[in-house]
Amino acid sequence: MTKAHATWVIHLSLLIALLIVLLPLPMDWRFLRPDIAALVLFYWALALPHRVGVATAFALGMGLDLIEGAPLGLSSPGLMLATLILQFNYQRIRQFDPIQQSVVILVLMLLSTGIEQWLRNVTGVPALSVGALFALLFSMVCWIPLRAVLRHSRRYYEVY
Amino acid sequence: MLAIQRGAVDTVAFASDVVLAPFDAWDRLMGSLRSRRDLEDEVLRLQQENRVLKGQSQRLASLLSENARYKTLLNSAREIDEELIAAQISALSPDPARHVVILDKGAVDGVRQGQPVLGAEGLIGQIVLTGQYSSRALMITDSAHALPIQVNRSGLRAIAEGSGVIDRLVIRHLAATTDIRVGDLLVTSGLGGRFPQGYPVARVTHVDIAPGDAFAVVSAAPASALDRGRHVLVVAQGALTREAATP
Repeated sequence: MTKAHATWVIHLSLLIALLIVLLPLPMDWRFLRPDIAALVLFYWALALPHRVGVATAFALGMGLDLIEGAPLGLSSPGLMLATLILQFNYQRIRQFDPIQQSVVILVLMLLSTGIEQWLRNVTGVPALSVGALFALLFSMVCWIPLRAVLRHSRRYYEVY
Repeated sequence: MLAIQRGAVDTVAFASDVVLAPFDAWDRLMGSLRSRRDLEDEVLRLQQENRVLKGQSQRLASLLSENARYKTLLNSAREIDEELIAAQISALSPDPARHVVILDKGAVDGVRQGQPVLGAEGLIGQIVLTGQYSSRALMITDSAHALPIQVNRSGLRAIAEGSGVIDRLVIRHLAATTDIRVGDLLVTSGLGGRFPQGYPVARVTHVDIAPGDAFAVVSAAPASALDRGRHVLVVAQGALTREAATP
């Protein structure tokens, strides 16, 4: 395994993604917010699977729960499972063109959101309505530009 | 676990202040660019409003003393010493399924878990988590929230549940023959000991009675617009809840 280089870029991008979660939106429009944090996590899991994996997914999920004031552990399991799937298949998914990739990302987001909503129902925390699935489509649209930005910064700072 | 979440309340409030700083600066800039005329108009409007409110509060003082006299006559010495803490909503919870706001006052200001939060026109929620310098309030329309209410006109007691929609509360399990009408004011009933009695909560907007059903479904709109305005009051309760909490 190579020595880590410039991993601060990973941490910084995850932190910025968490701050984007805090950007103000009108109360009824909040469900349109794309899940940037999950997208950034998926990008790094795809690009550097030896640096970003299930443990990072766990920590990010905890961060999201703390930000939302939800019971700890609602977001983590879904993100961890999606990251695990990426870990097993990253070589194949890397070969896809961006549009195919964004479809894969959509499926992964459906999986992680589905698990989160199921956990919410189990623990009695209000779950999202079906309309909230729009946010996943927005997230899918965000994948291509976000991937471009992160890819550029990964190459510029030579993160590995 | 709770300690971590409490710490996170402050951290998140600080981070969202940082994120919101450019928006606040813009608002302040726009505010400072308002014309003298606008400001004069607003001062005039506020002076008039102040005069009206002062007039009403004169009546309030006499009513309060009258009420106190009646209470001594009835030998019920339940004094309500409520202290109000002025707070501002500094952020909304990013979770779209929940109606939770972050307030800029915390434990050091006297905010405690369970205290009611009032808006300009009525109750808007209660404190669920306090940090040192900020706190989280659950709004009455959150679908995990329910509160005991009373119809002001008839004294009928019921439970108003949050619907997950910002302008709607639901009252279920009311017999279809119950005396409740569109326009009725719902106030806190004081049962359960969490909310003091008599704060306006909502106004009935729909009474749906499906033919053949035993129960009516009553919808109400919160008295205070929950998605407008930033200034709220936290009721630091005194004797009333302490008495209710320790039977």
